[in-house]
Amino acid sequence: MAGSHSHWRTPRSCDVYWSEFKHCKSLFNRFHEYYTYGRAPDCQQWKEDYYTCKDWETNHSTHTKESLQESERKRVAEQRKFTPVWELRQTPPADWHLPLNQGKPQDP
Amino acid sequence: MDQNSAKEDGSSNKGPLQDTKEPEKQKAAAESKQKEEDLGYSLYPERNSSKYAQGSIGESLFTFKHKCQIMLQFAMDTSPYAKLLLGAMKSSGCAVYKDRHFSCEDCDGTVSGGFDAATSQIVLCQNNIHQQAHMNRVVTHELIHAFDHCRARVDWFSNFRHLACSEIRAANLSGDCSFVNEISRFNFGLKEHHQACVRGRALRSILAVRKVSREEAERVVDEVFDSCFHDHAPFGRIPHAKKDAKFAYRDYENRDRYYANL
Repeated sequence: MAGSHSHWRTPRSCDVYWSEFKHCKSLFNRFHEYYTYGRAPDCQQWKEDYYTCKDWETNHSTHTKESLQESERKRVAEQRKFTPVWELRQTPPADWHLPLNQGKPQDP
Repeated sequence: MDQNSAKEDGSSNKGPLQDTKEPEKQKAAAESKQKEEDLGYSLYPERNSSKYAQGSIGESLFTFKHKCQIMLQFAMDTSPYAKLLLGAMKSSGCAVYKDRHFSCEDCDGTVSGGFDAATSQIVLCQNNIHQQAHMNRVVTHELIHAFDHCRARVDWFSNFRHLACSEIRAANLSGDCSFVNEISRFNFGLKEHHQACVRGRALRSILAVRKVSREEAERVVDEVFDSCFHDHAPFGRIPHAKKDAKFAYRDYENRDRYYANL
């Protein structure tokens, strides 16, 4: 829809993509990727997303929008690539906000 | 060596034991005490009664309560790990209030903190936390348990898989297993050492609060490790240090824009 297209914003601002790219490439992060996963980090996508983001700022093309959306959806999917051990709640635990029992009465 | 442990409970009687002459009551009391020990409550002797009355001179002179409370406030105000978790919990409907959901207490010699699911409280061991960096880490670790309690149906009491999962996540995401922390424990390792550390610390935490064999605990940790190691909520990444945590917090603050434009 033409209306939603003009209101669309990049999921992150362009400088965020650049700072993520620089952080990804840093010695600190490369060390920790090895320390955690035993491999080198893959930072290329952050750089591409930065350029796509800058592209969007200049020409607002559907292609750049979809490219960025696809990249981010992949990132979200990556974060969800596991089978949860537990069932997620719809509402928080009922007793979270209940006051503490100061005297701690004996339960029967 | 300090360690965190998750302390959880279903429905055990936590009142102080009464000295009675009736055999039924004595038996019930003994059973209750056994249940408390089974759930690790003996590590936190002040959960039922404290040595000094609250607000007394004895408390201010002979305990680290005040120091603990100051360090806690500082952690909540300045640590990006804590701020992100507090924000995420508020979004999930579990707003955290320092006076209600945190308790500074004296604990058994080796423990740094715990999460009491029965009272929805995080216990901070004031006699074992003396540095701000340590406080930040303990607060983060326990808030991860609280976060799991808030957003999922975690059966702390009888499901070892759930317990193991939350311990894996807490060790993974709190900075417990950072390179620097491991070196300070003389655990030298490089390639994928983070994972080995997470496994080891989760194992230790389980063994500290449950009467279960090492083999059984290892089996459960192995079973759930792949799933729980890759669950990075609410960080979206493994925050190895403050910079990662700051980036994660930035993402959290921008989450509305992010998901609206996916």
